[in-house]
Amino acid sequence: MLNFNQCGKTFADGTVALRDVSLEVPRGQFCVLLGPSGAGKTTLLRAVNGLTSLTTGDVELDGVALNRHTLGKIRRRVAMVHQQFNLVGRLNVMENVLSGSLGDVPAWRALTGLFDSRLRRKVCGLLQDVGLAESHVYKRASELSGGQQQRVAIARAFIMEPVLVLADEPVASLDMSISATILELLRDASAKRNTTVLCTLHQVELARQFADRVIGMRDGTVVYDGPPSGLCGEALDLIYDKRAEVEISSRRTAVDVLAPNAIAV
Amino acid sequence: MARPDSEIFVGGSKPAQQWRVRQPYGPKLILGLLFAAVLLALSARHTQIDKMLVMTAEWAAQIVGLRPSSEVGKGAKRFADTAFPLVFHEEAPVSRIEKFDRNNLPWLSHLETRTVESARYDFDRNEMVADFEKQEFLVKPVGYLVYVCEKMIETLEMALWATLLSIVISLPLAYFGARNYSPNRFTYSASRLTSSFLRAMPELVAALFLVLMYGFGPIAGVLALGLHCAGFFGKFYADDIENAERGPQEALIATGAGKLAVLRYAVIPQVLPQYIAYTQYILERNVRMATVIGVVGAGGIGIELKGRFDMFDFGHVSTILLVIFLTVLGLERISQWLRKRIIR
Repeated sequence: MLNFNQCGKTFADGTVALRDVSLEVPRGQFCVLLGPSGAGKTTLLRAVNGLTSLTTGDVELDGVALNRHTLGKIRRRVAMVHQQFNLVGRLNVMENVLSGSLGDVPAWRALTGLFDSRLRRKVCGLLQDVGLAESHVYKRASELSGGQQQRVAIARAFIMEPVLVLADEPVASLDMSISATILELLRDASAKRNTTVLCTLHQVELARQFADRVIGMRDGTVVYDGPPSGLCGEALDLIYDKRAEVEISSRRTAVDVLAPNAIAV
Repeated sequence: MARPDSEIFVGGSKPAQQWRVRQPYGPKLILGLLFAAVLLALSARHTQIDKMLVMTAEWAAQIVGLRPSSEVGKGAKRFADTAFPLVFHEEAPVSRIEKFDRNNLPWLSHLETRTVESARYDFDRNEMVADFEKQEFLVKPVGYLVYVCEKMIETLEMALWATLLSIVISLPLAYFGARNYSPNRFTYSASRLTSSFLRAMPELVAALFLVLMYGFGPIAGVLALGLHCAGFFGKFYADDIENAERGPQEALIATGAGKLAVLRYAVIPQVLPQYIAYTQYILERNVRMATVIGVVGAGGIGIELKGRFDMFDFGHVSTILLVIFLTVLGLERISQWLRKRIIR
């Protein structure tokens, strides 16, 4: 469903974020990208909806490669959840969730703010699903707690019935107790709709708990690709190691060795 | 599970006693300040700052009683003597009023009959003689005040329309002048240049030319103020769009929203309080400017002010100044109150 074909990214300052990454993510999978900061997780995620452009290789969604012409179409099918929630603080919760549909509604509705009343009903349903109450609907986003804001962001992500949700460190700004709840919401919402989730995380425990599949990244390459159960000793060393300064090529073979039971793609 | 830091950098080899510590005031700063002082002293001669100080000191000495008189004091006295009482009334001989209807007098007015003395040259006696005749006057006790207030309202309307005009002109300037929304470098530079040009043109100068083009009256005033402020808005709105928080915009771009929709939902809500503050400031400023722009004939109360000032009708001038002063003060209060209600 989602294919990364030999993706490479070098930033203007010479930083190499991705080196020749090839992956395939099947429909409905909750796929976690795990790795230390600077591993290239976020770059890989942002390459999917074109927020970052690749230097080499390409990304395909359902066989459609991302380019200038397909960008809008792909963005409308792919939603995103951000680390900093990225809600508009001065707009209320309803408007924030509605703004997730801007790519799909006619321009005159978008600019006048006269959204379809059915869409407003749908927003209420989504908000209930993420555990918010009627009293929250017309509060300003800035008045909500971090956890509540991320709930709103999840509701916003699902308003357009996306086939894929990109979650960029969705719980990194939240404390541990709320993190699990938020990831649970994300997993349930996507499972209900058979939506694929590509989620970057840096806490191994959460990855173990929620992922169908874990992709370990380090220095722009995939060093682990397999089930969360395989995340132990050597695999973790590969992702976070400081001792084994193995070369990139040998790491790639290590993937095959360490994760023979990688979920078939 | 983060990667542990491999090593922590501790201090360095140099002992702390030998570290270089910077002085708060270096020789460069002191030389620079001296240079600036010399330049200021030179320019003070050109602008007669020394004379200003002397004159003010003399005036102060007069006030505390050390000097019998001073130049500034004389000038102030000349105005103060004639400025009061304030002139609120208006009167005109009935004989000079066209289509005068005795049974239908204007609101708040009455008729007065006075004996008027006028001088006439008597050719037979070859000397000036005084004539006494009874003349009827129509007196409006607050007629002039009402007239000034009418003019003030016209001035306020000019300020309002100038502000509206400048907002309308500045919206495209702001959109194309924001680096992150402008389609290309050409549109960016063009709108930034236009904004600078409009801002750089002083209203009074613009009004002089616009009076030539559109004739005397409020059109020139509205255009002069509107164009100048459009430059101001164009710059400030654009700067705010550029500085708006990036995250929410990116979130909406990621949903496939168009540029205008992103602007409407992720930028405008962020910058709105700032925009309202600018707009209120400009509106207040336009009211003040609209009162003086009439001096060059561009409508509003300024025309009346200039006319009365040139005729040394200082009583009338004081009335005008009082009305301007109260209006500006009142508007400031209203706008503060409004701002508290709008911006939360």
